[in-house]
Amino acid sequence: MKRFECLQAIAPLIADELFVTTAGGATNEWNAVHPSDGNIQVKTLGLCSSIGLGLAIGLPKRKVFVFDGDGALWMNLGSLATIGLHRPKNLIHICWNNKQYESSGGEPTVATAGNIDFAGIARNAGIQSSRSVDTVEELTDAVSHALKNDGPHFIAANIEAGRAETPPLKYDELENKYRFIRYVEATEGKSILRIPQSASYLLK
Amino acid sequence: MGTIAGAQNILAGLKGAGINLVASVPDINMLQLLNLLYEDQDIAHVPVGREEEGIGVCTGAHLAGKMPAMLMQNGGLLNSANGLTTTALQFGIPVLLLIYYAGDVGDNAFHMVGLVTEPVLQGLGIKYTVMRDPARAKEEIAGAVTLANASKRPVALLLTRAVL
Repeated sequence: MKRFECLQAIAPLIADELFVTTAGGATNEWNAVHPSDGNIQVKTLGLCSSIGLGLAIGLPKRKVFVFDGDGALWMNLGSLATIGLHRPKNLIHICWNNKQYESSGGEPTVATAGNIDFAGIARNAGIQSSRSVDTVEELTDAVSHALKNDGPHFIAANIEAGRAETPPLKYDELENKYRFIRYVEATEGKSILRIPQSASYLLK
Repeated sequence: MGTIAGAQNILAGLKGAGINLVASVPDINMLQLLNLLYEDQDIAHVPVGREEEGIGVCTGAHLAGKMPAMLMQNGGLLNSANGLTTTALQFGIPVLLLIYYAGDVGDNAFHMVGLVTEPVLQGLGIKYTVMRDPARAKEEIAGAVTLANASKRPVALLLTRAVL
C-alpha cells in the first residue's frame, strides 16, 4: 500500500483531532489530504513522538495523532519506552514504515533489513494496543479502533516507498505554530498565548 | 543530593512563576528536588529517558497551554542541542531550562561539560542566569519565566550546589 492512499482512507474518519507530523513526506501528504490548523509540522527528526506525548499529556481529553517514520522512530526509539511509561490514553502513534530515509534520498534505515518489529517493541515497552498493518483495510480498522478506545495506541503501517505529488506546506514553522495554538484555544476554550499588558497600563 | 530546604525553595519558585509541567532526567545534585516533584500534585512530572525527548515533551505541553520546564544536568543540555535549535528556537517555544551546573567551580565531576556549558548556551542564543544565592532563587526563576514567555524562547537557569 502507498502512504497517500492510506492517508486518503483515514481522512474521512477524522473530526477535530490534532496531528503532529514528522520531518518527512507524511507532512506534505497529510496537509494535502486534510488541510487543518490542527496539523503541526516537526523539523527535528525523531522528535514528533515526544512532542505528541507532551501534547497528549497537556490535553488529556483530546485525541492526538503522531505521524512518524521508520528513520525518525529509529532516532528516538526511546520515546516508545517513555510513552509506555506514561501511557496517555489519547495518543495514537502511527509509524509510516517505508524502510528508507525517503526525504534524505532513499538510504537504508534500521527497518530495511527486515529484522525489526516496531509494533513488538512498542507492545513490550508498555503500549498494549499495538499493531502492524499491511493493507488499507487493516489500517482503517486499527485507526477506527484507536479513535473509539483508550490508548495509547501504536500502529506500524508497512508501506511502499514513494511520495505523492503534493504542494509545499502553506505555512512556515512560526505561522504553523500560531495557527495551531489559536486552533487549540478556539476548540478547547482556553487561553494559551498570553501577551503581556504594556507597563503604562499597569500604572495606578 | 541537595538539601530539602533548597529543593523546597526552588519548587516554590517554580510554582510562583507558573510552571505546571516539568520533564526531567535525574542528577544526584537534584535528588531532593526530584523527590518533591514525584510527590507534588500541582506540577505534572514527566520523566524521560533522554533530554532531547524532554524538549519535545515541553514543546507539546506548551502547544497544549502548559508552562513547561526541562530539568537536567548540563550534559543533557548537550544531548538536547538539536531539539532546542530546530524545535524550541525555530518554532519559538517558551521553555524554562533548569540545568544542574556540573563542572562549575567547586564541583569535582564533568569539568569538560562545565567548561563548554556557557559557550554552548551563548552559541544557541539562549539567555541564562547562574544561580548562586538561595535568597535570590525565586526572583531569578520568575525573571527567567517572564523572559521565556515574552521572547517565546527557551531561557536557562544554571543551578549550582549553593541553591540546591
